[in-house]
Amino acid sequence: MMFAYYFQLGLRSLRKNPLLTALMVMAIGCGVAASMTTYSVFRATSNNPIPGKSSQLYVPLIDNWGPEDAAQNKGEPPDAMSYTDAMALMRDHRARRQTALYPVAPSVIPADASMLPVRESSYAVYADAFPMFDVPFLYGGGWQASDDAAHAPVVVIGRALNDKLFRGVNSVGREINLDGRNYRITGVMDTWDPQPLFFDPVNTSGFGDPVQLFIPFTRAIDLKMATNGNNNCNKHSGEGWDAWIRSDCVWIEYWAELPSVAEANAFRQYLHGYAAEQQRSGRFTWAPNVRLYDVPQWLEHEKVVPQEAKVSLLVSLGFLLICLVNTVGLLLAKFMRRAPEIGVRRALGASRKEIYAQFLIEAGTVGLVGGVVGLLLTGVGVFGVTLVFDPDIARLATLNGSLIALTLLVAVLATVLAAFYPTWRAAQVQPAWQLKSN
Amino acid sequence: MLQIKPILVALKRHKAGTLLIALQIALTLAIVCNALFIIQQRLDRIARPTGLDETNLLTIQNRWVGVDDEKTGSLVRADVQAIRELPGVEDAISINSYPLRGGGWLTGVRTNPDAKKSETHTTQYFVDDHALATMGVKLVAGRNFRSDEITEIDPKAVVSAPQIIVTKTLADKLFPDGSALGKVVYVDDGTQPSTIIGIVERLGGPWNSTWSDTFLDNAVLEPYQLTGGGTSYMIRSKPGQLAAVTRSVPEALYKLNRMRVIPSERGVRTYDVVRSQAYKSDRGMAILMGVVCLVLLGITAAGIVGLTSFWVGQRRKQIGVRRALGATQRDILSYFLTENLLIGIGGVVVGALLAIGMNLWLVTQFEMARLSLLYVLAGVVALLLLGQGAVLAPAMRASRVPPVEATRSV
Amino acid sequence: MLKMTHLSKVYRTEVVETYALRDFNINVNEGEFVAVTGPSGSGKTTFLTIAGLLETFTGGQYHLDGVEVSNLNDNERSRIRNEKIGFIFQAFNLIPDLNVFDNVEVPLRYRGMKAAERKERIMNALERVGLASRAKHYPAELSGGQQQRVAIARALAGSPRLLLADEPTGNLDTQMARGVMELLEEIHREGATIVMVTHDPELAARAQRNVHIIDGQVVDLAEDPRFHHAVTSARANTTA
Repeated sequence: MMFAYYFQLGLRSLRKNPLLTALMVMAIGCGVAASMTTYSVFRATSNNPIPGKSSQLYVPLIDNWGPEDAAQNKGEPPDAMSYTDAMALMRDHRARRQTALYPVAPSVIPADASMLPVRESSYAVYADAFPMFDVPFLYGGGWQASDDAAHAPVVVIGRALNDKLFRGVNSVGREINLDGRNYRITGVMDTWDPQPLFFDPVNTSGFGDPVQLFIPFTRAIDLKMATNGNNNCNKHSGEGWDAWIRSDCVWIEYWAELPSVAEANAFRQYLHGYAAEQQRSGRFTWAPNVRLYDVPQWLEHEKVVPQEAKVSLLVSLGFLLICLVNTVGLLLAKFMRRAPEIGVRRALGASRKEIYAQFLIEAGTVGLVGGVVGLLLTGVGVFGVTLVFDPDIARLATLNGSLIALTLLVAVLATVLAAFYPTWRAAQVQPAWQLKSN
Repeated sequence: MLQIKPILVALKRHKAGTLLIALQIALTLAIVCNALFIIQQRLDRIARPTGLDETNLLTIQNRWVGVDDEKTGSLVRADVQAIRELPGVEDAISINSYPLRGGGWLTGVRTNPDAKKSETHTTQYFVDDHALATMGVKLVAGRNFRSDEITEIDPKAVVSAPQIIVTKTLADKLFPDGSALGKVVYVDDGTQPSTIIGIVERLGGPWNSTWSDTFLDNAVLEPYQLTGGGTSYMIRSKPGQLAAVTRSVPEALYKLNRMRVIPSERGVRTYDVVRSQAYKSDRGMAILMGVVCLVLLGITAAGIVGLTSFWVGQRRKQIGVRRALGATQRDILSYFLTENLLIGIGGVVVGALLAIGMNLWLVTQFEMARLSLLYVLAGVVALLLLGQGAVLAPAMRASRVPPVEATRSV
Repeated sequence: MLKMTHLSKVYRTEVVETYALRDFNINVNEGEFVAVTGPSGSGKTTFLTIAGLLETFTGGQYHLDGVEVSNLNDNERSRIRNEKIGFIFQAFNLIPDLNVFDNVEVPLRYRGMKAAERKERIMNALERVGLASRAKHYPAELSGGQQQRVAIARALAGSPRLLLADEPTGNLDTQMARGVMELLEEIHREGATIVMVTHDPELAARAQRNVHIIDGQVVDLAEDPRFHHAVTSARANTTA
């Protein structure tokens, strides 16, 4: 009941010093809006893309270039694998599930001759990739390991592509033409858009359009499909496809599913053993240098959160801090101006606690209004995010329910926090001094 | 200035308000300095020249569909020929990448084939004899490629060409004495010698992130036309014809051969668009920091106005007494200005230290340069002026308090 | 009702100690109307603020309604102020942001009363001071006398046993002062204990009993020749 009374007094007090109130509300609104806008980007970019399995999926790295090159990268192995090493790991099959993968660039030739060929984000993977990455299916499913072994012309397509080519009907079993060759559709994915794109931050910098096409890795190699991503070589690979495949150029991402810590440790042992074997055989002239990163470690390693997102979040938090210091000052002025009122209330039986309650709730009211203003400005800010960030990242920064709640909460909490000192000063007002009729 | 001591005494009695204003000034200075510095860094990046004559330049991304990689050579030749014959087109080339495109070839260069490490990194552009004219790049020494030097090559089989053209930056880096023309270098980590036949004034790399800053203007032009799935076309239009050419070239290409993909996004871009997309985040960051600075200064000024007004209100009687005792309006005005200046000086001293500390921390966390003291100095001056400006209105109001206020009760 | 024995109040600053009250003794009975007089700076306002639990004291004892108050905490003191004491100040001390109704409501709010009861009490109190029609007005829209009557309504609304008045007519002209004084007398007749601080001998004479304070001590005027004349002349005025 007293809460309602104080809230009502708070609202009334907002109208009392409109200028001072406007100053505070704008300060809080701007501070909160800046923080929330940049936080929305930070949250999107530092999101856990596969929460259920992020500690079960691992990227192994093997140093096949040697310490001289690693020294330029703080001792880290290259962040992709050579074909030689990726195939050796696939053959050994030491994880529960595993896949090598790389981006490819086939063009889809629509059966309808009036439509132009299109290119979609595409990857060459193994059959394990679908259960590993929890890919959801609308129709059918991934292909089988036997298809990998048979280098079969099979394909999994995305919902958007299915809508485009087949008007959304179940197309499993039908064929599509990629670069002039037919592939049988085994499954149509439901909307699948993990952000960041954890399975290939190396080639996408972590953000990109949803993948619309998967073909078997073995098939892509048969067709000599070059990577559509980065190809890094530490020396000249020699001429032609076969030389490239055998070279130490790195262009393949490798993923292993290791559901328990024990399995992860065993896999780490295995990796180390593999590198040691390469050293013994004379391929590596250096001691084993291997890594095994889970999803969060991998995204951190690949610096998926853009520098802009971190710097601007920091700057806006500083901004919010200044707005709060400003609010402390203005609240102090606002509260102390009302020392006589405080004196009267104390004389009429308000305890210090009640003065605390009244002024903190009043501050909370200011915060709430500031939060509403902040919400509007955050809306503008989220819209303005497209100015600073890639469209791929900007589209992730949205003003959803949780951000709205957070904006209001931060505004109210921050203002109440800022009000502690002014309120303490208000509660210290000596009623006797205020009431003496000088 | 005679009043400094009494002002300090008075300030001691308003510790909270004084500290709050000083703190706000300090924090604002710290953030504004660093934000201005970030803005300047970003603007510097944006202003970097590519060496291209960027007006009247169009780029197209092309990818072949259903054609074996080895067989694309003739298709590209046909495309380039067709584009060059279009009305409004000055010249055109097929190239593997171009400045600010975002992806391209990076390799090492050395002057001694036996050296274990390359001396520097460089980008490689594979072009024909029309490149310099199309790009609008200025040849400052030597000669252009001859048409008989151009060969077709599989990208997997590239070894550095016998004749190359390099940028002046790369030439000077490899041969600091300026004798690069006619010298032999080893590109692509190979042992194949390449002779420098020409030097161009400037040509930037395809990248614009900080990791490429050390070799930004290193570029090698090689007389190759790559086969393979995709290529970029650069087209120079006749003056004033860019818009027309932007429409006519893709149409002509599709008419020539439908089995290609020109992506709907980033497929056809004038160079203005290329540049603005490449520096989008830099420009955005500069704008964001600019807005933050402005709002921050506004809020700090408003805070000073608010608190000073409160003080003036509290001290009306005191001011009245001073006026009654003979203080002029000017005295009262200068009292409040001096008071604010003292608080401001306290704030900026702390703020300057904070600004430098914050920058040092940012340097360790991000790839950022050291803050120039000039920015701190500029920030200090700006904030002191801001404080004086903000305090002016309440101080004027104080100076207009009539002496009779002294006799009023309450 | 109110009993102070050997009470003292010392104000300390870095340089001096000032005794506002020294060995101060007073006893006010239930239902009395006492006027406290004295020259300015004599300590009469300090006495009133201590009596109203607005300030603590340094030494001695103070029993209010039989309770020794020196060991009470802030909450308990606030509760007593709220329930037993009504204040009337020279400067009225209405809250400018609140209208008449809301001003009178303040002490009732702190008592945690239900809305219906609050409303009834507020309207009754305003009725008594003759301002029921002004409930929605703001203090600034009222004359001084009306403001003081609102303040009295506020003091009355909580039905306090003890009414403390500090120069209640000090800021009013004679006409208004008379009205306020009559109101106080009426309240007294209905059973409230009133302690009124004033320097106006005419006003003081209308109380049942006069207590005079000089230099922080109660003095018996009859035995102090210095004031004999003043008192007798004041009495003469009232009888006239």
